[in-house]
Amino acid sequence: MIDRVLDAARGKVDGADALWRREERTAVAFESGRLKAAGISEEAGVNLRVLADGRMGVAGTTAAKPDPTELVARARASAELGEVVDLAFPAASKLPPIPTFFDRTANASLDDLIRMGRLLVERLARPDCQVNVAVQREVADTGVGNTAGARGEYRTTGIAVTADITRIAGDDVLMVYDQYVGADMPSDADLEALVRSVETRLTAALKIVTPPDGALPVVFTPAGLAAIVLPLEQALSGKTVLQGSSPLAGKVGETLFDERLSIIDDPLTPGRPASRPVDDECVPSRCTGLVERGVVERFVYDLETAARAKTQSTGNGRRGVFGKPHIGYTNVLFRGADGGVPHDAPLQMLGGGLIGDIDDGLIVDDLIGVGQGNVISGAFSHPVGLAYRVQRGEITGRVKDAAVAGNAYDLLKRIGGFGTDGRWLGARWSPSLLLDGVSIARR
Amino acid sequence: MKDRLAAAVTQSRADYTEIRVERTWSSAVAFRGRRLETATVSEDQGGFVRVLNKGCGWGIASFTSLDELPAMVARANELSRAVRVDDPIRLAETRPQLADAILELDGDVRGVPLAEKKKLLDRYNGAMLAVSNAVVDTQSSYRDEVSEVWYVNSEGTSLYQLRPEVVVSGTAIARRNGTIEKGLESIGLRKGWNSVQNFENQFRVVAQRAVDLLDAPRVRGAAYPVILDNELAGVFIHEAFGHLSEADFVYENPQAREMMTLGRRFGKPVLNVGDNGAAKGLRGTLPYDDEGTPTQDTPLIKEGILVGRLHSRETAAKLGERPTGNARAISFRHPPIVRMTNTYIAPGKKGVGFNDLITDIKLGVYACGAFGGQTMLENFSFTAGWGYMIRDGKVAELVKDVVLAGNLFQTLDRIDHIAGDFTWNQMGGGCGKGGQFPLPVTEGAPHVRIEEALIGGDV
Repeated sequence: MIDRVLDAARGKVDGADALWRREERTAVAFESGRLKAAGISEEAGVNLRVLADGRMGVAGTTAAKPDPTELVARARASAELGEVVDLAFPAASKLPPIPTFFDRTANASLDDLIRMGRLLVERLARPDCQVNVAVQREVADTGVGNTAGARGEYRTTGIAVTADITRIAGDDVLMVYDQYVGADMPSDADLEALVRSVETRLTAALKIVTPPDGALPVVFTPAGLAAIVLPLEQALSGKTVLQGSSPLAGKVGETLFDERLSIIDDPLTPGRPASRPVDDECVPSRCTGLVERGVVERFVYDLETAARAKTQSTGNGRRGVFGKPHIGYTNVLFRGADGGVPHDAPLQMLGGGLIGDIDDGLIVDDLIGVGQGNVISGAFSHPVGLAYRVQRGEITGRVKDAAVAGNAYDLLKRIGGFGTDGRWLGARWSPSLLLDGVSIARR
Repeated sequence: MKDRLAAAVTQSRADYTEIRVERTWSSAVAFRGRRLETATVSEDQGGFVRVLNKGCGWGIASFTSLDELPAMVARANELSRAVRVDDPIRLAETRPQLADAILELDGDVRGVPLAEKKKLLDRYNGAMLAVSNAVVDTQSSYRDEVSEVWYVNSEGTSLYQLRPEVVVSGTAIARRNGTIEKGLESIGLRKGWNSVQNFENQFRVVAQRAVDLLDAPRVRGAAYPVILDNELAGVFIHEAFGHLSEADFVYENPQAREMMTLGRRFGKPVLNVGDNGAAKGLRGTLPYDDEGTPTQDTPLIKEGILVGRLHSRETAAKLGERPTGNARAISFRHPPIVRMTNTYIAPGKKGVGFNDLITDIKLGVYACGAFGGQTMLENFSFTAGWGYMIRDGKVAELVKDVVLAGNLFQTLDRIDHIAGDFTWNQMGGGCGKGGQFPLPVTEGAPHVRIEEALIGGDV
């Protein structure tokens, strides 16, 4: 398909690149402890970008039998309105070997998926709680190519197992959620870890206590950390740097964060669904250090943003069937210099071993409304979704009707500790972080 | 197309079969700062099959290759039969519907050259950039679509719907040294080209606000009396209550059902709430939902008392209530689930205005505009775009980072004053649930006062 589209483009435009992707998903859903539905989805599409008279245009289609000539014509029409860009498509090069396809995942039968879901439902069942479990397996084929001769093809597998428990007691609604996401099927130990994670957080939440207030130490669990890492992910994108809206622009080489903190984008981590040998613009995958020991090192780029910023793509081009390629992270790792090195940590106590010295504070596991404020500024303010009070080094119960606020860049200048509970959550790996001076307001 | 779907339904061996096929023509233009990002025309198409058999669960298939339709019906049937259920899934009875429902296009976007759309967005984007040198970046986008949806089921329903949509939005980013602020304008309509003209001033206003916010202090975290403007009051009712009224949350959960018993008091007698998928010309409006049920105006809270909820055919059957036309899917890639359409807080007494709400507040917050909201059912957040302190009954200084922490049982019951100045807020964006985002919805409300609500921030 890639070759047919690029052949159709040759001679009609100055250059082109394309992505073709076919995805097959199988999903089963258990609602309130009962198997309710099974589904499949099949989707294929092609995305074409052209350079014509120095201008860029794009077109995409999900048609079953796409007409390459029509696609090229549509991309050319888009280029007529497009901006001038001095973009060079990368030439053919050797791609790093990286396993992205796992037979066990691809070959798992519907019954295998149902069995796995049922096992979780049974393990998580308890009186007065509703358990929902979803299992989704994906197999995808991707092809990328350009008129400079680069080609890439790979198959990926992915499996996501999510479990949530809702417990309603009177007017109190408690929701606890966790997931396993990987390219390979979860082992029994992985599923056991998922069960224990949900159980641990549910059990600690049964008692409700009054929230504290003031500027206090807060442990953000890997799940609770989203509000803190989101501003960084935006600010480390070459796009916001180019546009002048990133507070980290012009700060390369400066120590802006705790000297133990490193942030890495790594498309080569084995076993992760976001790993791949080549990005969606034919740039071979490689690991990029964004922050190293507190120092801002590099931003992530796709081809176009790199061309405009007069730098190189970091292999972070991503594209869907519709629209043009844009910058996307692959696997982002937040790690500390001591400990906090990626591994599949054994099950940890809530708080990652960071609460022992807290006299009064919180463990934040979930915040509500993350991503909806003025994110890139670093300022955040969110009601707690799931949080626990810590008093004299121990969890005393769950808090409700409290809101935490602060500035992510300021809080990360001094990290009180990196937890020993580092784990993957989707495409992000991080341990818990202890941050001091987080504002907690209560009613 | 209807005949093709009807033939596939007839050949299905399942007890119940429904097929939805969509073909969506769309165009999109985006600016980032002064630079055009893209200008494209796209066509997306695909199908969705869902079947049910006695003693079995749902079998579902979605696909982009329509040639595969008969095979996909057979696959869905196999999947359904692989799911054995003890508690049978039933669908509430509805009358079969036969109709072609063509919503008004109000300037068919398919007939407008892409260059014209670029020009329009360039004007709005330029209006934001022209406000001040402090506006360092913008993100502006124009997107339109005309979606054709065919729906046929084995109970005799056969529908064709033409659904237009147009969204123009702009974010202005103002920066001075390390301080970065944003202003957001977003207009979303189930209409066409004619309806998105002449909004320059609105875009200018939000860019100016982003600049003004650079000098504004962060709001202090505390519990305050709060007045919500129309836009935020709409987001509030969507998050605070709308999601709880979606019956898929209660239908399998006895404790949830008890918590949401019809007849329970949720607010003071001033509070009236509903969801109206049949309202004319709004973004959440649909003649029929994605199970072929006609939409309607469904009262949810009447004078403070819970009186109704939103249903699909499955949740309605389970609770012995009537379907309300709220089973919606964002596209052929997804099954229909219970969703809101146009959700509203009904206006208070005519003539009651903002001044009547503010006059006896000594220290409070006037929270305006909406960056978004999210619910975890009992607790929810709603993020204002900006706010003002209220001091001695008057609007005082501008403040930023105004995020409200709500609690279903406490916050709704503390609404003590509702103005008569109702408006529908025709925003872009949309609602997310169960991995389906963004679903076009509208919210409507007048100014609303909450006696006391928690606002996060430095303490």
